[in-house]
Amino acid sequence: MKKLHIWSSLLLGLALLGVAFPAAGSDEVTYKGSTTVLPIAGLLSEALAPNVVFSVQGGGSGTGIAAIIDGTTDIAGSSRYMKLEEFEKAVANGVMPYVWEVAIDTLAIVVHPSNPIEQITYEDLRRIYFGEVTNWSVLGGPDMPIVVVSRDTSSGTYGTFKEVVLENQEVTDGALFQSSNGAMATTVASTPGAIGYVGLGYLQPSLRTLLLAKTAEGPFVGASVETALSLEYPLSRPLFMITNGYPQGAVARVIRFALSDEGQRLVLEAGYAPIRALSE
Amino acid sequence: MNGNGEMDVTRAPSLANRRRLALRRFAQKMDRPVFFALGLVSLVTLGVIFVFVVREAIPVFRYVSPSSLLGPAWHPTSEPPLFGALPMIVATGLVTLGALVLAIPLGFASAGFVAEIAPPALRDLAKSLLELLAAIPSVVYGFFGLTVVAPLVQRTFNLPTGQNGLSASLILALMALPTVASLAEDALTAVPKVHREASLALGASRWQTTWRVVFPSAFSGLFGAAVLGMGRAVGETMAVLMVAGNSPALTWSFLRPVRTLTAGIALEMAEAPSGSAHYHALFMLGAILLLIALATNGLAEWFRGRVARQGE
Amino acid sequence: MNERSSFSLGVRAPQSSSCQVEPILRVSNLSLWYGKQQALRSATLSFPVCRATAVIGPSGCGKSTLIRSLNRMNDLVPHLRIEGEVLFHGQDIYVRDADPVEVRRRIGMVFQKPNPFPKSIYENVAFGLRVNGLKDHLDDRVENALHRAALWDEVKDHLRKKSGFDLSGGQQQRLCLARALAVEPEVLLMDEPCSALDPVATAKIEDLIQELKKEMTIVIVTHNMQQAARVSDETAFLLLGELVEFAPTEQLFTRPSDPRTEAYITGKFG
Repeated sequence: MKKLHIWSSLLLGLALLGVAFPAAGSDEVTYKGSTTVLPIAGLLSEALAPNVVFSVQGGGSGTGIAAIIDGTTDIAGSSRYMKLEEFEKAVANGVMPYVWEVAIDTLAIVVHPSNPIEQITYEDLRRIYFGEVTNWSVLGGPDMPIVVVSRDTSSGTYGTFKEVVLENQEVTDGALFQSSNGAMATTVASTPGAIGYVGLGYLQPSLRTLLLAKTAEGPFVGASVETALSLEYPLSRPLFMITNGYPQGAVARVIRFALSDEGQRLVLEAGYAPIRALSE
Repeated sequence: MNGNGEMDVTRAPSLANRRRLALRRFAQKMDRPVFFALGLVSLVTLGVIFVFVVREAIPVFRYVSPSSLLGPAWHPTSEPPLFGALPMIVATGLVTLGALVLAIPLGFASAGFVAEIAPPALRDLAKSLLELLAAIPSVVYGFFGLTVVAPLVQRTFNLPTGQNGLSASLILALMALPTVASLAEDALTAVPKVHREASLALGASRWQTTWRVVFPSAFSGLFGAAVLGMGRAVGETMAVLMVAGNSPALTWSFLRPVRTLTAGIALEMAEAPSGSAHYHALFMLGAILLLIALATNGLAEWFRGRVARQGE
Repeated sequence: MNERSSFSLGVRAPQSSSCQVEPILRVSNLSLWYGKQQALRSATLSFPVCRATAVIGPSGCGKSTLIRSLNRMNDLVPHLRIEGEVLFHGQDIYVRDADPVEVRRRIGMVFQKPNPFPKSIYENVAFGLRVNGLKDHLDDRVENALHRAALWDEVKDHLRKKSGFDLSGGQQQRLCLARALAVEPEVLLMDEPCSALDPVATAKIEDLIQELKKEMTIVIVTHNMQQAARVSDETAFLLLGELVEFAPTEQLFTRPSDPRTEAYITGKFG
């Protein structure tokens, strides 16, 4: 029995070593985090291959930031800025986070295409998402119950929506919670009374995008790359990639590429607004 | 190799034979410790998981009282946080019950068909179909539920949304069906042929034989099939996450969106900062889930033991 | 196959009345194949009313195959092919519209190993009555059947408490006999009913056969020639699927007409 123990612990130890020290020397960079930043990371990865092996994985902004703090990823993606506690924890862990803005995300407010409503204000959205208004007729629409659709509370998209529109208050218990942009789009597109919010990259003809204004005075603006770049559209936010320390080597190549004109065209292609106007 | 078996004791065994014998003796001596060790590994793993989950769950009591865990509201990030798990416990029970009500009769019926009635060609087709159902990843079931079942439920019942307990139950029933059906089929096939013959020889029809002799004889196996089907339904996360709607509001209705324990953990684990009250509360949900699993298995064992004693 | 007359068992023979001598069950040119292997070769014999007929022969000679084809128990076997006729009251039980369920109710069977259901003694006996819709006077019918199988006195105090499995092997076999008798079959097929029993239990079953054959037709397969000689009126000797000899029992055992029969009964093979 004793021998068996020694052998099995030896094997286990070898396996753990393998996890802790991946093959050194290859240009391998890992991304983990926001599903909103994920399409950008995906396109960057395709363009960088095969010179840099850039492997990407979702999980949400919180997961990504936790991973950079733990040192289990080279680049974290986030659709929100790091929280103070996260920063402190990182520093305590000996990690110095560098935060790079790589794109501007724009959250579009979407409804079912059969819904005649055309525009909406932050105040209307709050009343809807707090469960105070439950029928479209109150907002001048048809007599139809409102189906409130939210992203799951661990997504960066939810975080931005909650922070910017809902003034950091909770979404009503009666809302549907979807765990991805795709599920959100599918749900709203198949539910006549639904209202939801998705990243610009997930807009599709089966969704109706509402014009949005902060107050009833307007101006009401539609979500698009142009309005995001011009800062006219109210509900937009920067998207970040976070590195441990100032990027070196292969990680630097990824960040530099993301910020280049070529990288920013990929950001456009993924459905987000670039961080600066691009020359044609 | 030399044409002599090991039984030939008149000759001294060759070196190769001696080595083979030694090896066999060693294997015979080792098989008990090896099986013991393997059994121990699974037991220890279970214990470690249990201890880990409970240890991470306990600190939640620094923030809230134990009784508040059964409260009706789940507001993990409000001030002060509310960790009422009742809506999720109710939702888990509701969705599982719905799935079992559909999957058990359907699973037993298809098992009965496959084991007793179907001609061999059809039986093979039905069995491979069930295996195929079991092999489909849960995210595919979820996608099917999201794009087909939920809209169908919404139109059929004229609801604002089809993402509710009923849709989740339907999908879970479909997912539990292969488990229930194939285990039930094993149980039915294990019923001795002589019972069937005795029944038929008394002028019972095929149907009467299946219903009155084969099913009762297979009771304990069928019960096991139902319990494992239940385990499948309670533990499923991905598909439920996609079709149940995930509203944390307390409801006893199948036609309203619900959030199960598994979906609750999956939705929020990523956001909960490690070590926070929210984090511990999510582990408490995991502990509750574990408790439900242990309780149902224990109950099933006890019930099965009672029935077995009656059958003697 | 198709030109055979349509089958109906509407006329039920009088039950406990006097026994006629004409055969109730006749086998005519019966051949049977399991896949490509022939198990019966054109057997012709008849089973008269109120007689016990023994079927003997070495293992694998087709005894069980023959008896199981008399109540269509072979239906469960895949790839089975049958030619010839089995006439019950003059009507072929293998024509397309014959109902095997009714055939089996009227031609009962007791198997080689006792096979009670995992149910109470009472429910074991009542099972055949229930599935055949004979639900009136259920208690009386159950008691009557247990009396006929000489089991009543041994089990009457725990009919519903004890399972069929709680009985001894001999008792279990008599329970199976009672179960078969409860639905009042006209013919009783017994497939080596004593092969799993001790001598005392065997003697009890043999006594019962002597009693039962006064009111019904019995066909018993046995590998035990003494048993055949003790209980049967007629004996059929099968060898390699062929019916070698079919004669009154005494004649077959004392003056066999076929040398193969003589070789078998004198113990030269088998």
